[in-house]
Amino acid sequence: MSEAERKSDLLQGTLDLLILKALAAEPMHGLGVSRRIAQVTRGTFEVKPGSLFPALQRLEQEGWLSSSWGRSESNRRAKYYALTRAGRRQLASETRQWNRIAAAIGLVLST
Amino acid sequence: MRRSPTLASVWQHFFRREREERELDEEIASAVEILAEEKVAAGMTPEVARREAVIELGGPEQVKEAVRDVRPGRMLEQAWQDLRYAARGLTKSSTFTAVAVLTLALGIGANNAIFSVLDAVLIRPLPYANPDRLAMIWSEFRSAGQKRVPSAGPQLTELQRRTRLFQDVAGVWVGRGALTGQGEPEQVRVGWVTANFLPTLGVPARAGRLFARSDEGRGSSPAVIISDGLWRRRFGADPSIVGRLLRLDGQAHTIVGVMPSGFEVVFPADASVPSDIDVWSPFRDDLSQRPRDLGFLRLIGRLRPGVALDQAQAELDAISAGLRTSFSEYATPDLRMEVASLHRDSVREARPILLALFGGVAMVTLIACANVANLLLARATRREREISLRAALGASRGRIARQLLTESLLLAGLGGLLGIGVGWAGVRLLLGLRPASLGRIQSAGLSINVLAFTFALTALVGALAGLVPVLAMSRRNLLRGFQDRARSGAPGRSRAQNALVLAEVALGFVLLVGSGLMVRTFVRLLHADPGFEAAGVLTFQVGAPPRAEDDVSVQRFFRALQVKIERLPGVTAVGAVSHLPLGDYPNWYEYYWKDGAPAAERNKILADHRAVLPGFFRSAGIALLSGRDFTDDDDTGHPNVIVVDETLARREWPGESPLGKRLTATFIHSGSFDPTVAEVIGVVRHARYHALTADGRVQIYVPYHQSARENLAFVVRVDGEPLSLARPVREIVASLDPDVAISKMRPFSAYVDAARQATRFTTAVAAVLAVTALLLAFVGIYGVVSCSVAARTAEIGVRMALGGRPRRILWLIVGQTLRLTSAGLAAGAAVSLVLTGLLAKLLYGVGPRDPISLVAAALILASAGVLAAVLPARRAMSVDPMIALRHEA
Repeated sequence: MSEAERKSDLLQGTLDLLILKALAAEPMHGLGVSRRIAQVTRGTFEVKPGSLFPALQRLEQEGWLSSSWGRSESNRRAKYYALTRAGRRQLASETRQWNRIAAAIGLVLST
Repeated sequence: MRRSPTLASVWQHFFRREREERELDEEIASAVEILAEEKVAAGMTPEVARREAVIELGGPEQVKEAVRDVRPGRMLEQAWQDLRYAARGLTKSSTFTAVAVLTLALGIGANNAIFSVLDAVLIRPLPYANPDRLAMIWSEFRSAGQKRVPSAGPQLTELQRRTRLFQDVAGVWVGRGALTGQGEPEQVRVGWVTANFLPTLGVPARAGRLFARSDEGRGSSPAVIISDGLWRRRFGADPSIVGRLLRLDGQAHTIVGVMPSGFEVVFPADASVPSDIDVWSPFRDDLSQRPRDLGFLRLIGRLRPGVALDQAQAELDAISAGLRTSFSEYATPDLRMEVASLHRDSVREARPILLALFGGVAMVTLIACANVANLLLARATRREREISLRAALGASRGRIARQLLTESLLLAGLGGLLGIGVGWAGVRLLLGLRPASLGRIQSAGLSINVLAFTFALTALVGALAGLVPVLAMSRRNLLRGFQDRARSGAPGRSRAQNALVLAEVALGFVLLVGSGLMVRTFVRLLHADPGFEAAGVLTFQVGAPPRAEDDVSVQRFFRALQVKIERLPGVTAVGAVSHLPLGDYPNWYEYYWKDGAPAAERNKILADHRAVLPGFFRSAGIALLSGRDFTDDDDTGHPNVIVVDETLARREWPGESPLGKRLTATFIHSGSFDPTVAEVIGVVRHARYHALTADGRVQIYVPYHQSARENLAFVVRVDGEPLSLARPVREIVASLDPDVAISKMRPFSAYVDAARQATRFTTAVAAVLAVTALLLAFVGIYGVVSCSVAARTAEIGVRMALGGRPRRILWLIVGQTLRLTSAGLAAGAAVSLVLTGLLAKLLYGVGPRDPISLVAAALILASAGVLAAVLPARRAMSVDPMIALRHEA
C-alpha cells in the first residue's frame, strides 16, 4: 500500500465531515470541493478524485447531499453538489462529535 | 395484479442504472475538461494539458469503478455481470465446456447416487412415530460369551414392571403359520407380539385397530392384524375385511385390523425379525409363566421423552442386577441387558459398507475436481493476456478472482444439474443389485436431503476447482501477460498441474486398492467352504398338518412325504431340517452339558440345536465323519440319540471318540422344550448356518422322530435342475393333505447367493468407482502430458532435426510422467495403508494390507500413466521438425 493510500485510509472517517463542511457555504462541483478542502487546510488534506467521487456518491445516497447540473466559471456543464437539510443536521452533529473528541484528546495530551 | 409494481420497480431500477452511468461518464469527463482548461490557462498545449489532467485524476476508468463500487446492489450487479461473462466464455469454447461439465456430472452424479442410498438407509429417520425414542434391548450372558441374544418371557414382564424410563417395552418373535380355509393353503410369516408392540412403533392401522390389552394373555379370543400385502393378495382388498375370520394353523382368528401399505418392521439382521411379516398375532399365554431361561423374544422399548440412551442403560444395569439376585437362572450366566438406538442398531451392518462406498465416491469426486481444475488452469494460461488487459483496465485482483470462480461455479452448476440425472440413473443401478442387507435402500431417491447435499457439493466442487487457477494467478504479476508470450506457461502453473496429477494418482491408487481388496474378498467368498453342498438341491418349507393331533401324527405325515419324494425320478437323497443353513428362521440354541455334570457346570455352554429327518446329512452334503446317521427307527419308542458336529466333539472329548458318550441336550415333546439325556451316535462336519464367513456355535442334531417341531425345511438332492421338481412336490403335498401349506420353494443355492449379496454389492460398486477413478486419472495425466508436450513441440523438433533418437525422446517424456506417477503411488500407498484398515470389517480371507492388491493397483496405475504419456509423445515426434520449429514463431 502506498503512502498516499494509507493517508486517505486514515482520513476515511473525517473525509465526510470535510466534504460536508466545504459544501456548507455554497454548492460546488466535485473538483471544487477538493480545491476548497486543500485551500482551507492549507494543503494538509489533499483529497484524490479516487476517494472524492465515491465519497460524494455515498453521501448523496445517505441523503445528505443533493446534486444538479449547472455551469462552471468557464461555462462548462458540471455536476454541482449542495447540502440538504439532513446534511446540515449531520454536519452539526458530526461537528459536535468532533469537538468533543478533539477536546478530550487535548485533555489527554495536556496532562 | 400484485405483480406489476414489482415489474415496474425492476424497470425503474434498470432505467436509473442507465441514467446514473450516463451522469457518471459526464461528471468525470467534465472534471477532466475543467482540469485541462486550468492547465491550458497555465500555459500548456491542449494535448499535454489533457494528458496531465487524466493523470492527475488518477485514471477516469478507475475513478468510475471506485464510484460504482459504493453503489447499493453493486455486488449483485457484478455477480450477474460475471455470470453473463462466464456464460459467454463457456459457450465460445464448447469442447472445453463439454469435457469439464461431463467430468463434473460424473463426479457429482456418482456422489449423488451413493448419498441417496446413504440418506435412505442411514440418515432418514425410521418410518415410525418419534423414531429417535425407539430402542432395541438385547440380553447378554457374559459367562457363556453370548452377546445380542433374545430375552425370555419373564424378563420382559419384569422389565415392564420395573422400568421408569421406558414408556413401553414390547416383544416380538417371528415364526411361520399356515393359512387355510378359503383358497390355496399358504405359509406366511407370523409376528407373535405383545399387544403393545405395534402401538409402541406408533403406526396406526389403515383399517380396523391395533391390538389392545384384552387381546393378549389367557382367556383372550384369537385376534390377528394382517399386512396390506396379504389383504390385497388373499382378500382382494376387501373393504369389509375387519371382523372377518382368518384360519391360522387350523384355528379361526378374528381380523381386527389391516396395517398400511409400506409398513414394515426395521430390525437388525441378527434379530431374526424379517421385514416381510404378513400376520400379527398377540401371545395368548402369560409370558411371565414361560421358562426364565428360554430366550426367544426380541425387545424394543420406547423411551420417555427426554431420556437419553445412557440413562436407560444405567436403569437396565440396575434392573439386570435385580434379576440376577432374584433368579438363579440369571445369576449363573451373568445376565446383562444392552440398549441401543433402534435405527443405529438396524444399520450396524449397512453402515460400514455405505461409509466405505461414500468415502470411495468422495475420492472419485475429488479426482473429477482435480481434472477440471487442470482444465481451468490450462484455460487461464491461454487467457493470460485477456486477464492482464482487464487488470490494466481497472479490475482489481479480487474482482478477477471472483470472475474466474464464477466461471468454475457455473461449470459446477451445469455439472450438478446433469449430475442429478446421472445420480438418478446410478440409484436405479444400485437398486438393480438389490442388496437385501441395506434394508430401506428401496426408498432411495431425490429427497430434500439429497438435493441439499448435491447443491452443497456442487458449490464445493466449483469452489475447489476454481480456486487452483485463482491461487496460481495471484502468485504472478498480473501484468506479465503483456511482457512475455511464453506458451509453456509459468512454472507456477506446471507445479500446480503436477500437484493435481500427483493427487489424482494417489486417490486413484487408494480406490484401486480398496476395490482390489473387495474383489479378493468376493473371490474368497465364492470359494468359502460352508460345510454343506448347496448345488443341485431343492428346498422348501412345509408346516405340520393343521389337523394333526399329536407329535406322532405330525411325524407320520413327514415320513410319508419323505418316502414319496424319494420315489420321484432324479432324486438322490431327501432329508429335512428344522432350520435351514443361511435361512432366516429364528435360530434355536440351548445349553447342553455332559451327562452327570454338577449343577454349576450346566447352564454354561450353548449349542445350536437342529431337528432333522434321517437322510438330511446326505441331502445337504454335510459329511458324516464317524458313526451313523439317524434312521426311521430312532423314534420315541427307542433310546434318545443325537449327532454332534466335529467342533463339539473336539471341545468335549479331545482325542477321544465321542461315539457312545452321553449328553444332556434339549428335545421337544408336544411343544415343550425338555433337557434330555441322549447318546451320541454320529459326528458330522461343522456347517455354517448363519453366515458364509463365520463358524458360529457348536451344533447338536436331534432326530425329528424324537423331537417334533411345527415346521421343517425339506432338502432334496436332485440329478438335474432342482426347480423341475417343484410341481411334483406340490402335487405330493396336496395329495397327502390339501390343507398343508408350503413356501419358499427355491434352490438351496439361492440362500448362498443371498448370503453373498452384501459383499457382491460392495464389490460391484467399489469396482465401478475404481474404474471411473482410473479413467479420470488417465484423462488427467493425458491432459497434462499433452499440454507440456505441446509446449515443447519446438524443442522436440530441434532434437529430432539434430538427429536425436526417437526412443530417447520418448523416454524423456515417459520418464517424466513415470516419476510423477511414482510420487503419486507413494503418496497413495501411504494413505491406503491408513485407510484400508477401516475396511477390515468388510473383508474376508484377505488382510487390509494385502500385498497383492497393493502391487496390482500400482501396476495398473503405472501402466495407465505410461500409456497416457506415450500417446501424446508419439504424436509430437511424428510432427515434421520444420513445422515444429515454426510452431514457436
